[in-house]
Amino acid sequence: MKVGTREEWLAARKDLLEREKELTRRSDELVRERQELPWVPVEKEYTFESEEGEKTLAELFDGRSQLVVYHFMFGPEYAAGCPTCSAIADTFDGVTVHLANHDVTLLACSRAPLEKLRAYKRRMGWQFPWVSSSAGDFNFDFGVSFTEEQQQGGADYNFQHFPTMAPLLEAETGPIAEQAVATGTTPAGYMQEAHGLSAFALDDGTVYHTYSTYARGAEFLMHFYPILDRAPKGRNEGDPPELWIRRHDEYA
Amino acid sequence: MTEHKVGTREEWQAARNELLEKENELAERSEELAKQRLELPWVPVEKEYTFETDEGQKTLAELFDGRSQLLAYNIMFGPSYEAACPGCSNLADHLDSALVHLNNRDITLLCFSRAPNEKLQAYKQRMGWQFPYISTNGSDFPFDFELAITDEQVAESEELQTTLNEPPDWLQNWAKQVGTELENGLRENPSWIAFALEDGVVYHTYMRSAPDRDFVVPYYQQLLDRTPLGRRDEFFALRKDEYERAGAAR
Repeated sequence: MKVGTREEWLAARKDLLEREKELTRRSDELVRERQELPWVPVEKEYTFESEEGEKTLAELFDGRSQLVVYHFMFGPEYAAGCPTCSAIADTFDGVTVHLANHDVTLLACSRAPLEKLRAYKRRMGWQFPWVSSSAGDFNFDFGVSFTEEQQQGGADYNFQHFPTMAPLLEAETGPIAEQAVATGTTPAGYMQEAHGLSAFALDDGTVYHTYSTYARGAEFLMHFYPILDRAPKGRNEGDPPELWIRRHDEYA
Repeated sequence: MTEHKVGTREEWQAARNELLEKENELAERSEELAKQRLELPWVPVEKEYTFETDEGQKTLAELFDGRSQLLAYNIMFGPSYEAACPGCSNLADHLDSALVHLNNRDITLLCFSRAPNEKLQAYKQRMGWQFPYISTNGSDFPFDFELAITDEQVAESEELQTTLNEPPDWLQNWAKQVGTELENGLRENPSWIAFALEDGVVYHTYMRSAPDRDFVVPYYQQLLDRTPLGRRDEFFALRKDEYERAGAAR
């Protein structure tokens, strides 16, 4: 820590502010580019288990014209949802009312059976709709679930091809092993799922896929990170970063 | 709905890959700025400030509540307002979810406003918030840290006088929403502010005020930035318990 005078702070702050504003303008441009992406009609029929029975993708819009799906890591073999995804869900749960009133339905989707999702949602005290895609290809088609063959022989994630996950699946220590323990499964079970966010539009009865983002592209969802980035000590996670995020009912 | 370009999966993928490059580049720059932010000098706070809270009077150091870092959002809720700014309220709506995670990272998260404590606590109850909501009423604190400006400063600001002479419709509407005259309403500065506590000394470390499309905005705007239609101007900010009534009125 460097201690300074108000004048020194102000000079450094002004310099930083310029750069922050530049970043904001750049971010604004990217938002415009995002909206220029072509919309791709979704031709396959997907069905989901919801608390109100079976639903198609179009029905998930719930009368609105836009749908945002958070791909929450909760695979069929998990005993509990991923802790990091849970912290993300904490964050968006409080704002779904605002999105709903901006013509946007936000929900989570996972591959675990509906009853598991319901029990976990009750435990966490969340309100957002959470549907199960256990029956179909939805998670695989949108790049957030992997078969055993893909784990061994390679697949795409975050628009990149990875050759094999095999070495990761044998990890006995490190973040993947820790997350596997936290979700009550093996590294291989845990790594069947990945997280991300996908957006869809509904127009004249046709559903369009408009956007997906994965890995750190979905980091904006963890809104405590931008807050941490303004704290005096920043993220303060060490190197390599420690896995500090717990479920909100699991902090000591 | 807006006219939109429809494409094939391949066309989408090509455009998406190009965008991904830029998104990654933006993330890298954002990381650089986070590093630069940590380089800011810490400025010792030499003046003693006290605040009215539900647990009696507290000093700035006491607001840290045993932690070493304090992050606060200054909600526009001046002494003459009837209710806090709806946009600021929308921003505050996501803070409770971050509370437990940040508290466990040695960070106290709270909100400040200049209205008296009773007004803040009543509004906090209405909104169902859990975070500490601290009144800066009667203290120099908001003026020293540019969280509020005086009548004289309003009178001297050419920019504010121009706005006050010909306020845009949305701003007139906003003044009605918060229940005060615009010239009073514009005295509050929506901002994030950060402090550190070390060896009994409080340091001011950071501040960021609106406008800022990415941080000094409600979190849901970030989600809207990923939706097909983005942030749409036809929606203006309402408090979370006001949508139903507004819907019925439409």
